[in-house]
Amino acid sequence: MHLSGACAFVLAILIPAQNALAVPAYARQTGQACIACHVSFPELTPYGRNFKLSGYTIGVRQTIPLALMAQAGVVDVKNNKDDQGNPIVPKPKKIELSAASLFLAGKVNDNVGGFVQWTYSNLNVNNAGDTVGHSGIDNADIRAVGRIENDDKTDIKWLYGATLHNNPTAQDVWNSTPAFGFPFTGPPNGIGPNAATIIDGGLAQQVAGIGAYVFWNRTIYAELTGYRTADGAFSALRAGQDTHTPGGVARLKGTNPYWRLAYNREWGAQSLMFGTYGLIVDRYPDNTLPSTPTDRFTDVAVDAQYQYITDPHTLTAQATYIHEKQDYRASYPATLDGSPIGAGPTPDNFGDRIHTTKFKVSYYYEHRYGSTLAYFSTRGNNDAGLYAPGSVNGSINGSPNSAGYIVELSYSPIQYLRLLLQYTGYTKFNGTTTNYDGSGRNAKDNNTLFLNAWVAY
Amino acid sequence: MYKNRHVVFALFLQLGLTTMDFAAAPAAGDDAAEKLATQVCVSCHGPGGNSTSPTFPKLAAQQPAYVVAQIKAFRGKTRGEPEAHDYMLGMATLIDDTTAEALGRFFARQSPPKGIPGDARVIAQGKGVFEHGVPDRGVVACATCHGATAAGMGIFPRLAGQHSAYVIKQLRAIQSQLRESPVMHGIVKDLKPDEMTALATFLQSLD
Repeated sequence: MHLSGACAFVLAILIPAQNALAVPAYARQTGQACIACHVSFPELTPYGRNFKLSGYTIGVRQTIPLALMAQAGVVDVKNNKDDQGNPIVPKPKKIELSAASLFLAGKVNDNVGGFVQWTYSNLNVNNAGDTVGHSGIDNADIRAVGRIENDDKTDIKWLYGATLHNNPTAQDVWNSTPAFGFPFTGPPNGIGPNAATIIDGGLAQQVAGIGAYVFWNRTIYAELTGYRTADGAFSALRAGQDTHTPGGVARLKGTNPYWRLAYNREWGAQSLMFGTYGLIVDRYPDNTLPSTPTDRFTDVAVDAQYQYITDPHTLTAQATYIHEKQDYRASYPATLDGSPIGAGPTPDNFGDRIHTTKFKVSYYYEHRYGSTLAYFSTRGNNDAGLYAPGSVNGSINGSPNSAGYIVELSYSPIQYLRLLLQYTGYTKFNGTTTNYDGSGRNAKDNNTLFLNAWVAY
Repeated sequence: MYKNRHVVFALFLQLGLTTMDFAAAPAAGDDAAEKLATQVCVSCHGPGGNSTSPTFPKLAAQQPAYVVAQIKAFRGKTRGEPEAHDYMLGMATLIDDTTAEALGRFFARQSPPKGIPGDARVIAQGKGVFEHGVPDRGVVACATCHGATAAGMGIFPRLAGQHSAYVIKQLRAIQSQLRESPVMHGIVKDLKPDEMTALATFLQSLD
């Protein structure tokens, strides 16, 4: 048993429940407790959304604007052996430090602020299949903002700003979009379904997004952002990524547009949002061959969020539906010709569609005890060229369909620590329920129990 | 009737010419306070201090001396209830005395919150306690200090239109002395839960 992980658990039991004041970077800047901005990190309250849209500038600039975060956990997969009897997820059933992050976060002045997160992953699996430590940049978001007050000077009528960030939807303030959507943490090296829309984590820490947004009367939010591959002057935004291996990071052509529109209402202890967002991406099939034609992915999504935040009860819910049109205008002809582009996709079809649905509802008591129930599903048309059979990660019927649920229980004895018990169950995996990979593996063999301690200071 | 009609006329002219209230010559800290109020306070306390969430009290039309006193209480940590601790302790350290006075003036000049109607019988009970107190348990009539219309006076806060849930929470915090308020503690220590609810419902219904 690793000592560091054991210490985290023992510490959690010994420290009595108390409301101390010393807190992570933004809390130090504002002097407020974590719950002022977060339902439970990272989910945001209305005030937290305002803080983020204000460019993280509320409060007093700190001399040392740093914060730390670390996670340790235990993973248990229902059936952790592939058809050869080899373990799939490394180091199961042992307490392991999974990640530690350093944040440089805070305001520069009343108009400029942001955060840059750098993460060391202890359980990174490299190309050789070994589990080694690896560090690199994580989410980053730097903003410049302005404000125009209303006529009687009682509120801000226009809150507007520009953002530079490195993950589509990391700049969003509602937790219904992918980057800061549920689940907020998961087993490192967990077994996940093959198919996902590109906006759902596919470009994280690989792109530089420059966008402009406006929040009118706390009611209408509108944003336009352009994403480019984070190279050249923006290389820092993907520092630590493997840009040399074919099939590694995504490489985009030119500037790729993203939009976001949201309707927001806040009344009593409740808040509600209905919105839409989307992205059109031209992607080189092989990131090491940037002179070939590109495939095009068009994502259009709708989302909604509801929060009821009082003392002692808090109830929150998020939902999103993402539709993706995959236009293999480069990869399909090349594959048909018998010479696929490098390590790029080898689709059977000129175009495919997939769509993802996610829904979660959480209840917290006294900001301390939490429970969450979530449902997820990805469906699409069959494409055996993309979803081929193969042990554990393949698909016997060429279908991208996966679905399941997540149940979570959490406990925060003090505001810097959250203990989490998470169970992910799959009702369908890579196309079907039984023998999905052609080697005898069932969807529920991938069910995973995850115990996690998350510390932030 | 007036001895010097010219002086009186000049005074009326000046009152007419000033566009805000007639103490409108900008005092020290007014700009900073307005900026703080519209950019920060509004997130929880609502536009002009008209909060919609009962976790955060309405500050609109609040007595300026009371606003200043509470900011100092947050700084001095004499308000120990959890929300004061979690939200306001740190916020108050951003506010110096000049800005606190200016914030008091800012909220004082906002339009009072609208009352929210409630159960007529409960309101009648609350009105009774507000206007007459509960003499056999030493509960002084609230109107004595908070004013006949609950608009407040000096350091005694406006209660009219306040969130009932917030009023109840503060009465409990004062009873348990989590919120240090010796005078109020003496008055409300024997107030019963149903009386608190009735009072709060009555106050929330006032304009």
